Amino acid sequence: MPILTRGRRRIRYELDSPAEGPADGPVFVLVNGLTQYIELWEPYRYMLVAKGFRVATFDLLGQGISDKPSLHITQDDQVAVLHDLIAELGGGPIFLAGISFGGVIALRYAIAHSDTIAGLVAISSFAELPPQLYLLGSVMRTGLILGGTSFLMDMLFPMNLSNEWLAHQMDALEMAKRRGWLLNDAYALQNLMESFLEFEPMTPQLSSIRVPTMVLNGEFDFLTPRSLQESLRVNIPDTELVFVPRAYHAFTLEKPVLTADYLARFARDVMSGRWKGKKTIWIGPEEPGGDFTPFPADFDHMRAIPVRHDKPQAAELEMANSGETTPR
Amino acid sequence: MNSPARKAANAFLGPLDEDGRVPAHQQTRVSAFLMSVHGALARQLAASLPITLQNSAQVEMHAQFCRQIEFLSMLVRATSWVPDPMLPMLLWQWETAWWPRPVLCVADQTQARMIDLAAFNHALHAVIRPAALLPEAIDAMDPFAQAMRHIEFESGRLMQAQIIFLKSPQFHHVRHEVAAAVERRHEQVREHLSSMLLGLEVETAGRHLIPTAYHLHVKAAMEAAAAAANAAAAAVAETSEAEKR
Repeated sequence: MPILTRGRRRIRYELDSPAEGPADGPVFVLVNGLTQYIELWEPYRYMLVAKGFRVATFDLLGQGISDKPSLHITQDDQVAVLHDLIAELGGGPIFLAGISFGGVIALRYAIAHSDTIAGLVAISSFAELPPQLYLLGSVMRTGLILGGTSFLMDMLFPMNLSNEWLAHQMDALEMAKRRGWLLNDAYALQNLMESFLEFEPMTPQLSSIRVPTMVLNGEFDFLTPRSLQESLRVNIPDTELVFVPRAYHAFTLEKPVLTADYLARFARDVMSGRWKGKKTIWIGPEEPGGDFTPFPADFDHMRAIPVRHDKPQAAELEMANSGETTPR
Repeated sequence: MNSPARKAANAFLGPLDEDGRVPAHQQTRVSAFLMSVHGALARQLAASLPITLQNSAQVEMHAQFCRQIEFLSMLVRATSWVPDPMLPMLLWQWETAWWPRPVLCVADQTQARMIDLAAFNHALHAVIRPAALLPEAIDAMDPFAQAMRHIEFESGRLMQAQIIFLKSPQFHHVRHEVAAAVERRHEQVREHLSSMLLGLEVETAGRHLIPTAYHLHVKAAMEAAAAAANAAAAAVAETSEAEKR
């Protein structure tokens, strides 16, 4: 079990590499969401390696079997850990992807160290804490305190996954929750949540992110809804906003094959110079290998019902997407 | 500290007996450990409590004291006790470990004792997860299992008063020293807990590697989906090749 040491702290990580290929080939670094741990990225380790990428996964401070500081964990500590891990990966383009809490850490990292990565994927992420998200976070913290980790698991599964997935997994759900409950310690989760108590919006710093950035937003994600993803699209200079059809907040768990396909295609586009960026808006395919479709320029992508844009905005979006009717 | 004579093999207590219960010798050792640590906390809380409660912090402390007494009473009654020749030595080691160790970062000796008490309180409720020691197959109605679940469930709430106290503004100027005191208590409790469990051939560190039925189910579904995606891609490539020809 590889261990990264930072001061007194021990961070567990895994680095998977293709059997054939250079030691400094392109690498994806995947950052966990709040209650996640390395093993939940296993499908990505399997599929991205099969597509020729190295894959680095790790448990953040307070997660899985990395050290769990007893009283304080700051987000700056997590960024410092990520910086140490990335320094271990040697040459080769580095693509950083994080989901939700991990997306916040990835955004913070990209703001501070854009020069060390080739691309960023912000998945169900956010740079601000508007009242809905702040209050939902407070409810989650209270739930953790009053009902323990198992209550939090009970709440997160139906909040973040689709009916279809839940119906299919119903028999195995208790086992899934037990695994999360076993590996998560309540005090450590509380420390991770409380790292948001002094949260300042990152929006003013997003312009410091100088790498191609794909923002992934589940179509039905109500925890980190479209307005938060739109803020990333607008404020990070070189973005594409991609809607993942029929997806909720935790679609990395629900649709690993599809999401791994998105990640691999993003990295290949960046490395080959095919990356478009330009703050364009896309509807992702529902199946791996499918087409990315430009969001209809004359409709307001911020609405859940088809409302037309005013003309100048529509023209601007149409211009950004011009000529992009074929798969990327 | 008891040094384990044999290599630990299990991630959980067990193997369970014919009735689906944790073996009595394991129940005895685990409950003795819990009674030692919760008993020590109860004594320290009692020693810090005045006869008349004068502020809200003392009311909370009294509630915490009563909860520890409840744990002790419950453990005595819910455990299948058997003679354990190791216990006298282990209890001596444990009891000396839990002695108060006032921190040095504040001049006020009362506060120094309170910080250590809160650190010890935080550590035992954060680090010790009795319910997480139970295997999946345990009889849900078993009193020992229920006691373990109850202690773990209440621990999350009992910890809150310590978090509020230890993170309070009055200690901001010695934040790192207070955190270090809590870390020391965490390490101490973790060390004794791990050692006690190793004596029962239980090693919890490798739990993340245990494949659960869920894990295998998801992995199988993922591999099937990846195989289908690869097959589809191969079919597309084949068609394209045929068209070229």
